[in-house]
Amino acid sequence: MRNKNSKFFLIMLIPTFISVILLTYIPISKGLIMAFQNYNLYDLSNIHFIGFKNFQEVFSDTSFNFLQILLNTFLWVIGSLFFQFVLGFVLALLMTKPFKGRGLYSGLVFYPWALSAFAIGLIWAWMFNGQFGIINDILKKIGLIHQNIGFLSDPKYALLSVIIANIWCGIPFFAIMLLAALQSVPSEIYEAAEIDGAGYFKRLFHITIPYIKPTIINTTLLRTIWIMNSPEIIYAMTSGGPANSTNILATQMISKIYNFYDYGQSSAIGVMIMGILIVYTIIYLKITSLKEFSL
Amino acid sequence: MKKLMIVTVLISIFLLFSVASFSASEKIILNFIEVQTSPDRTELIKKIISDYEELHPNIQINLISPPYEQAEQKATMMLNSNQPLDIIEVKDLQLKQFVSSKKLLNLESYLKSWSGAKTLLPFTLESARVIDNTAYYIPELFYLKGLFYRKDILEKVGVNDIPKTYTELFDVCKEITDPSNNQYGFAFRGKAWEYVYSDYIISTFLDDIDVNNIYKKTNGELVFKDPRYLEGLKLYLRFYHETAPKDSINWGSNEIVNGFISGTVPFLFQDPDNVVVFNKMLGEDKYGAAPLPVGPSGKAYFGINVAGLSIPSYSEHKKEAWEFIAYFLSPEINSYFLKNYGALPIHSVTYETDPFFSTKVYQSWMYMMNHPETHVLVKYPMDSLKYVGWAKVHEADMQSLLLGKVTIEEVLNKWTEYWQ
Repeated sequence: MRNKNSKFFLIMLIPTFISVILLTYIPISKGLIMAFQNYNLYDLSNIHFIGFKNFQEVFSDTSFNFLQILLNTFLWVIGSLFFQFVLGFVLALLMTKPFKGRGLYSGLVFYPWALSAFAIGLIWAWMFNGQFGIINDILKKIGLIHQNIGFLSDPKYALLSVIIANIWCGIPFFAIMLLAALQSVPSEIYEAAEIDGAGYFKRLFHITIPYIKPTIINTTLLRTIWIMNSPEIIYAMTSGGPANSTNILATQMISKIYNFYDYGQSSAIGVMIMGILIVYTIIYLKITSLKEFSL
Repeated sequence: MKKLMIVTVLISIFLLFSVASFSASEKIILNFIEVQTSPDRTELIKKIISDYEELHPNIQINLISPPYEQAEQKATMMLNSNQPLDIIEVKDLQLKQFVSSKKLLNLESYLKSWSGAKTLLPFTLESARVIDNTAYYIPELFYLKGLFYRKDILEKVGVNDIPKTYTELFDVCKEITDPSNNQYGFAFRGKAWEYVYSDYIISTFLDDIDVNNIYKKTNGELVFKDPRYLEGLKLYLRFYHETAPKDSINWGSNEIVNGFISGTVPFLFQDPDNVVVFNKMLGEDKYGAAPLPVGPSGKAYFGINVAGLSIPSYSEHKKEAWEFIAYFLSPEINSYFLKNYGALPIHSVTYETDPFFSTKVYQSWMYMMNHPETHVLVKYPMDSLKYVGWAKVHEADMQSLLLGKVTIEEVLNKWTEYWQ
């Protein structure tokens, strides 16, 4: 009896295996192979293995300094993730208790998530515009600045500006996921804690956060991967400029295809991104499963 | 019995539809993709198509118009994956890539038997044959930069003569520039094909540029290490630092046109297709067009950008596709199309006889095309594989130079090495 069932389950799983292999693993392998070939769309007749040459060229590119790209990527991910999480969490905490108009308010708060990231980039690009942008206008009117700032044309401000747009874009994700997790915390525990005299912050750090720890770990891990992989906002606002100051690994990867038609170097960058994320995931999961962090 | 009845009815309906669609499929459907999409232009093309379909009832043309920013990529993807396509608009920059991957038809035999070929400009035929001396596309329009200026703003500040040299232009721009009033002089292009603008200004400091490669001199050397090039580059940097808003390091096509229309910068290098926009937004009396200024060498070098029509090598309706292309590129249709779009037509007869293209604004481009002693047509090395990524590399290096992150010597060395 048992044998028949497990055979049945296996057969039912075959379609899933096939689609995952076709749609995920085969393209990944193709990408891995391309990373070691001179695959350029302008010269398709002469494709062959060139070892690590693609990687070398990416590392030693003089117009797009690799170390700066790495630094930008790091700042982009950490800066976006931290504020998305904190602000999303605050929003979720504020919305746990029902209030008048909560339904409508939730809809408005979660709206950015429904927009295409590219469209979000375009809107923010106009808001940050150095001649006519509304942000410059507001800052001048409240007296914080006296002359327009070229937010997207000044390397000092460009990365900060794209990160701000990304923060706005990602808050809804954390707000939704953390709100759902918060609502699953049993209220008896809070009542017991109140009786014992625990204040708001004690309750937050000793009850709430430990209870929703699995959700926090999963969402921050997923979000880190998504932020690292998303070039759309930067591409729409600055295309990596000016002078490489907002270029991250993902935008450089796209640039190599759209501007240089070089699939080989682009795949090499893709391999690097994948490597970094795999290492990061392993370390992150190991750290967060340590005793100190558990309930 | 009931089941049998239902099945019979269903089968007959199905047969009826298949017969109907079979006869409908007698129409030949041509797929045509454009890559310079803009709302007004697409309407124009649709009108030309519907006129053609009336004349040829057995032909139906399906126009594909992807948004401008993604159109080139979409066309590339469609060609590379052999999706049904019969007519494709190709930009000059993409030609080499498509020919290398053998996706375009050799059009020489069609060209030979086409009556319209006789009235084409010499430019047109040369541009068609730029790869391997074979016509893989037929140009449908030319983009050629000219100097636009705001008549009203210049009058207000007391400038009456339009600058003919870059030194004059710089002096005028410097005089007008007043940052506290948000008034600047020059519409500086900082990104997206900005190398064209810097090349135009810098190359006028030399007089021995090779007409087949704007980056080489007639003695075969690259231009970047020449002391005159250094002088030109220094002047170009001064245009940014002293006559343009700092923000312009990030100005692309939309932004420079925006700056011109808003009056922030009264001098602008742009293509004639903006004539239609300026007529609409400013009115003919507020702006004018002049030939590109010359440099200390007494010369101005310029390139022509081309968009053309071609047929994919795998198309199943090559003959019908060519017939439409020949119609679209005939002198009458070409002139009608470009009259409303603004770019330059491909037949010499249009410039001689058409009332629109012999007007004042177009006279500056006529001047440039008819005075090769001062205005010299040069080619970019589009045949070279290095040309592919040059736009992005030049942009990154120039932006670093403008921001003071690298020195002039470093940049010039880099560019020399790149083209070696």
